[in-house]
Amino acid sequence: MTFAIPHGQRLPLAIAGLAFVFLGLFLVYPLVNVFGASFLDAEGTAFTFANYTKMLGRPFYRAAVVNTLEIGVAATLITTVLAVPFAFALARLPIPGKSAILAMASLPLILPSFVSAYALVLLLGRSGIVTQWLQAHGIGFGSIYGMGGIVAVYTLTLYPYVLLPTIAAFKAVDVSMEEAAQSLGSSPGRTVWTVTLPIVLPAILAGGLLVFIETLENFGVPFVLAEDMPIFAVEAFKLFIGETAPNPSSAGVLGVLLILTTTLVLLIQRRFLAHRRFATNARQAPPLLKVGAGVQALATVYCWAVVTLALVPFFSIVVLSFMEFRGPVLHPHFSLDNFAFLFDRALRPLANTLMFATAAALAVTLIGVPVGYVVTRYRSGVASLLDVLATLPFAVAGTVLAIGFIVSFNAGALVLTGGPLILVLAYTVRKVPFAVRSASAIVHQIDVSLEEASVSLGRSPLQTFLRIVVPLMLGGILSGMVLSWVTVASELSATIVLYSGPWSTLTVVMFQALESGGAGIATAAASFLIVVSLLPIALLYRLVRRYELS
Amino acid sequence: MSGIVIAGASRTFGTVRAVDRVDLTVEQGEFFTLLGPSGCGKTTLLRMIAGFTPLDAGEIRFGERRIDRLPAHVRDIGMVFQNYAVFPTLSVAGNVAYGLKARRVPAAEIGPRVEEALAMVQLAGYGGRQPHELSGGQLQRVAIARALVIRPHVLLFDEPLSNLDARLRVSMRSEIRALQKSLGITAIYVTHDQEEAMSVSDRIALMNHGRLEQVGVPEEIYRKPATRFAAEFMGTTNLVEARALGLAAPVWVSLRPEALRFAEEAPVGWPRLPGAVVALEMLGPITRLDVKLENGSVMKMVLLDAPGQIVREGQVVTLAYDPSRLTVVS
Repeated sequence: MTFAIPHGQRLPLAIAGLAFVFLGLFLVYPLVNVFGASFLDAEGTAFTFANYTKMLGRPFYRAAVVNTLEIGVAATLITTVLAVPFAFALARLPIPGKSAILAMASLPLILPSFVSAYALVLLLGRSGIVTQWLQAHGIGFGSIYGMGGIVAVYTLTLYPYVLLPTIAAFKAVDVSMEEAAQSLGSSPGRTVWTVTLPIVLPAILAGGLLVFIETLENFGVPFVLAEDMPIFAVEAFKLFIGETAPNPSSAGVLGVLLILTTTLVLLIQRRFLAHRRFATNARQAPPLLKVGAGVQALATVYCWAVVTLALVPFFSIVVLSFMEFRGPVLHPHFSLDNFAFLFDRALRPLANTLMFATAAALAVTLIGVPVGYVVTRYRSGVASLLDVLATLPFAVAGTVLAIGFIVSFNAGALVLTGGPLILVLAYTVRKVPFAVRSASAIVHQIDVSLEEASVSLGRSPLQTFLRIVVPLMLGGILSGMVLSWVTVASELSATIVLYSGPWSTLTVVMFQALESGGAGIATAAASFLIVVSLLPIALLYRLVRRYELS
Repeated sequence: MSGIVIAGASRTFGTVRAVDRVDLTVEQGEFFTLLGPSGCGKTTLLRMIAGFTPLDAGEIRFGERRIDRLPAHVRDIGMVFQNYAVFPTLSVAGNVAYGLKARRVPAAEIGPRVEEALAMVQLAGYGGRQPHELSGGQLQRVAIARALVIRPHVLLFDEPLSNLDARLRVSMRSEIRALQKSLGITAIYVTHDQEEAMSVSDRIALMNHGRLEQVGVPEEIYRKPATRFAAEFMGTTNLVEARALGLAAPVWVSLRPEALRFAEEAPVGWPRLPGAVVALEMLGPITRLDVKLENGSVMKMVLLDAPGQIVREGQVVTLAYDPSRLTVVS
């Protein structure tokens, strides 16, 4: 009987039902299997805690836990210290070229971080170009491998996570609060410290936690730079690939520990930050502060230096890809050999990358937009559960999800391993939280009474969603789709576990080239990825501009 | 077709009884207003009729047809929202045609009906405009045209004028009333402004704490308020214990300021009240006075402006009141 369900609840329940089926099958089920694997013996038959005692008993894996957390904390702290003054300068100081800085500052979020790590190796690694040049002049410097290099790459690629929300928060501060403080006798400097900073603190912390989670889950950067240093996500992958027993118990243990850590961080973030948004009803952005020429020059140099430095690795990869490599050794001649080699050897992965990214971007939009709508518009237990479930992939490292996929879809009713679909599904699940968040943010901007007007005029909730809500969301849906597309195209951590046979991607080509020392093809692939990432963003930007101007 | 019957409608949000066992009958073609302070349940009741808020108990009928379990989109209502809710993605004509298309009205019929509806709200020729080119008042006209073009069983107005400036509010409300009367469509109108309610309504239901405080024609609610709340909400009044006026009954009474005069200008039969002016406010056409009686209670009164009239603070006066305008309130 449909009578039991209030008519206003039918559309959200239908959407939630479909989403639960999808996420249940391709998120919860694989994760349950990872948990299961960690509690079963090598044959996968008997229940045991032995895997945990065995893994945690080994100093090597305990070191992996400590290293990963140390790197995460260090990267988060440095990122925050770097990004908060940057954000303040952009929001409140007269800096020339602000919009250019902002555009450049968001680029590291869409460019693959392991490309940045790889560039660092090519430039400053053991046989790096800069290293050799310096050695030729008798100058030596410390190693970039290990913790220092990893933290440096994280800082340069993840700082926008803190920067962007903090800028927004600084701009949302009601200037009358600062004026109130100053009228009470507080100096401008003290006012920033005692009034402004506490108001933006929740945004800073939220960004910082995002950075921390990203470092925990990242696979590519430590894979390139860690060398012998054990790191969580990398060791889980190595264990899984190396495990010969039917049950991947050791990889399962690392996977579970990784999920628990990220979930804990995420819960802390929700518990302590969700209710600490200080409502400031600023009608307009606060005015720029008047500062001396010295401070202004210093702030300008600082901002430009950070954005530029973060993009140097990407830029140098592009330059290097047009030079001649013989094995890992670079010769400073202009050459298109690397690209010829790439298109010759890796045309199939290249086509796969574009195809997978397109399929996953479509799928993630089809799921993310309705789910984002439901979790924003409806307040019920079902909607909250859906919200939690749709956020969960964020707490699951790609490597771990992929291991769950293999365990779940290797045999039985649904066999996906060995085909292309398993990759597309994994990408889709991984990007769902981002799609839901961005859709939800747009729905927040849409006045509910528009939907009620449509319903009162005779359109059903479903028709109203399609005719009124979707057209209003179109710009946001499109940019969300492009972002999904771009980030899927450079996905590495799940791909490396799931690809098989002819279904490899550009990131796999790079990964293999790194392992075998084929620097030339790796730089060409990286360049191609960079172009493939920037092109749709630039197109979208132009499209949006034109749309806004008309 | 016949009117709207609401029987025992209730709705609780958490621990708040937003609408508490409301019984109400609105006649066919009537302009009926739900009036009350914010949080009194008037908007919740309107949204129950529209189908956006489910009922916990009770029922709503359009004539014989029970509608409270129907989905909102098949209830045949036209709703006008506080913030207009004009679809920004559609042209003015597209907005007005929206409900007709939903009802699968033949395409050939849509154009003329849209034009007719736009003409009714004095927006003839505006069909091709985009919503962002219109002013707030024009947007509200589009919203009204969009609601009435479908010839709904009932028109619902949710504080439609509160986002407009004061002058436009006054002219729009008489326009809305004239339109409703000429079309003969039943209208239910929500507002917190008692003056607006009195100017447009055939009948008013005054609401407080989710309940109906009093239902009646505007004159009745103003002149014969049943409760203290009604007396105070419907305009300035003197709400005093009867003893303050020298009466024996242990009741509260309401006496409007305009029922008081200076003794020298009052008919002989009116009871006298000696006192002194303690405050005075000259507002142009009228002057408001506070007169402190000898027994200590303060009475508000109003004087129409007249040449040569001089009243000063501290002046000793004798008031007189019209006993027929004294209302006992509960």
